[in-house]
Amino acid sequence: MPQNSIAALLPAWPPQPEALLWIALAVVATGLVGEFGFRALRLPRVTGYFVVGVVFSAFGFDLKATQLTGSLRTVFDLALSVLLFELGTRVNLRWIRANPWLPATSLLESALAFCAMLALLLYTGAELATAMSVSVILLSTSPAIVMRVVSEFRAHGQVTERLMLLCALNTVYAVLAAKVLQGWLHHSGGGSDLTALALPLYVVLGSTALGFVLALSIRWVTRRFNLADDNAVLLLLGMLMLALALVQIGRFSPLLTPLAAGIVLKNNWQRPIVFPRHLGTAGGVLVAMLFLATGMAASPQQFVAGGLIAVALVAVRTAAKIFATASLGIPSGLSMRQAVALGVALAPVSGVAFALTADLQAVSPDLALQASGIVFSAIAILELFGPLAVRWALSRCGETGV
Amino acid sequence: MSEAGERRREPLEAFAQSRSLTLGVELELQIVNTQDYDLSPSAADLLRVLKRDRMPGDVKPEITSSIVEISTGICEDYDCALSQLRALRDALGAAASRMNLGLCGGGTHPFQQWSHQKIYPAPRFHRLSEMYGYLSKQFTVFGQHVHIGCENPDEALWLLHSLSPYIPHLIAMSASSPFVQGVDTGYNSARLNSVSAFPLSGRAPFVLSWDEFGKFFDKMTRTGVVESMKDFYWDVRPKPEFGTIEVRVMDTPLTLEKAAGIAAYIQSVARWLIEERPTEPAEDDYLVYTFNRFQACRFGFDGVYVDPKTAVHRTIREDILATMDRIRPHAAALGALSACEELAEDARTRGSDASWIRDQFANERLLAEVVRRQTLRWNG
Repeated sequence: MPQNSIAALLPAWPPQPEALLWIALAVVATGLVGEFGFRALRLPRVTGYFVVGVVFSAFGFDLKATQLTGSLRTVFDLALSVLLFELGTRVNLRWIRANPWLPATSLLESALAFCAMLALLLYTGAELATAMSVSVILLSTSPAIVMRVVSEFRAHGQVTERLMLLCALNTVYAVLAAKVLQGWLHHSGGGSDLTALALPLYVVLGSTALGFVLALSIRWVTRRFNLADDNAVLLLLGMLMLALALVQIGRFSPLLTPLAAGIVLKNNWQRPIVFPRHLGTAGGVLVAMLFLATGMAASPQQFVAGGLIAVALVAVRTAAKIFATASLGIPSGLSMRQAVALGVALAPVSGVAFALTADLQAVSPDLALQASGIVFSAIAILELFGPLAVRWALSRCGETGV
Repeated sequence: MSEAGERRREPLEAFAQSRSLTLGVELELQIVNTQDYDLSPSAADLLRVLKRDRMPGDVKPEITSSIVEISTGICEDYDCALSQLRALRDALGAAASRMNLGLCGGGTHPFQQWSHQKIYPAPRFHRLSEMYGYLSKQFTVFGQHVHIGCENPDEALWLLHSLSPYIPHLIAMSASSPFVQGVDTGYNSARLNSVSAFPLSGRAPFVLSWDEFGKFFDKMTRTGVVESMKDFYWDVRPKPEFGTIEVRVMDTPLTLEKAAGIAAYIQSVARWLIEERPTEPAEDDYLVYTFNRFQACRFGFDGVYVDPKTAVHRTIREDILATMDRIRPHAAALGALSACEELAEDARTRGSDASWIRDQFANERLLAEVVRRQTLRWNG
């Protein structure tokens, strides 16, 4: 019997699993766990996605967020682009002018949270540069979690609208602050004075200009194609990718550009544009992958690596945001219940914080390393509990539709 | 709608005295978001931030949270109603822009899904919701009610029945609900079809004395079906508490000028009826009532109108213009002539709000944009 030739055709024993198998299993588990958590426990599906990522990372299939580079970074950025663009289309600038308490609330919650985190870190012995970096990275509310939970629970109402507005604004602040910080680090590392000032300005102007062009192109698509078609979704995703490519070439902000495009599209033309959620099924899958990837980037050890400081950081950040929204809630037109819920809903952190960490890593590898223990613990905690906080807040105010 | 369940089987309340031909207008408005212009369940938010000082009349919630109702105080004439409605619109508009909301007229929201609506959190509305089930959410429609003051209850009942031949006019003039749940129904006022689903809708029984009406009311309360006058969803019903009759068939028009104009038209017709007594009401007037009403809902000004006294067939447009000729001196006496002439011009050439809505949709092909344009028209 020519056993040898047959053995060559049969699979090896024991089988040798390949990366594809693990990815496939992770994706299947994501779909199952996300849906099970939603049906049985009314958990946001994204929480299930994230948990699956964490479990897989516990078994050694992890992504290091600090190594978020190359094509993986592109997929990550594209998913974030979709969500940031969506968020931008919900920012009504005329509303900000009509109700000055809104920009006041936004500035107060960001400033308070930033100062509270900075003070805590300095008090516990961190260096200034590290403390600044951590506070900037954790400044913003996760647009990914907010947009995802809002659409999953078909939420609408005052708290939902304000949550999206404050989230968009503090994301802008975080990107700007990160660029200022990058310029400053570059400066103190021996760079020229000009860079420290010019970098943020260049990034803001460049990203806004590119966002404007992107908005024009998307408007062109919405006028000539049916947004319910796969074909239109393909075009929109293609345009977002093209914008990301130009962002890389010009070294603009991949976060600010899609957000700016959404804001321009919403405010420059009055005719309403009704996009399908996450720009359709394809965008929805990308977003799910984003949460799986951020879960894989967090290992179970990371929840505890930051120790008590990370927990305290999460606590002061959340408390500062709640204090800000609660103190300006009544003059801005909310009830006290809504105002407190709004502060709670501002808690989540995820993709944007990862992207900012990766950016800082690029300028100052040492710094990112020092900050990473605390940052990743805080991100992991707020990514796990963030969606629950948003869901709790919105359903407490009767704004969920599911 | 019943104010309190515990007041079971109370006798009919006394008819309050009010000056003949005084006027009051109520408008149910749509609260929409400024993103996709769908209905927004935000009545409670609006009412919380509304600045009520120096505002005439009142602003109240309705059965679902996407409706807000404005009502004028007691007015003598068109100018008073118009200026009060403007003040109410401006106060409510300021509150809406603080909360990123839009307001508009229209008898239906063109694409809202009734199952997404939320019952306004008040015990009375929850009771109604339990009673009527999904009908209460389907009742997310927007109407105009006009009160006409009557000196005594017998005059009120006489006027109530004398106005019945003019109900189709009012439906055609105010019609602004061609779209329901995202589709063109072919009706000009589809809203009234939602009202017809309620068991106590339709027309008031033909009695002309308050004593007789009291007997009818007692019989109805004894059956346990009715607790108070508010449980009758009639097209025109007496409102003893105010000393008025309340005409309830109109859609909320897209502009408050038209809303005030329709109130003035009713007032002018009422003055003509009371002062000249051209006909006496009769039970047989109602033989053609539902047919005429249907024609007005379905076809607007083009609908067939059957004269209840002579059985002559003409269009509703022709009957409105003929009526205009008769009431002109009365409209002039009430300061309502130009407002009534505007309505006649709608019937003659411009068409109703329903045709405006259809034209907008034909050009824009997007109902959200149509609603946005409705909010612009409402804001004036």
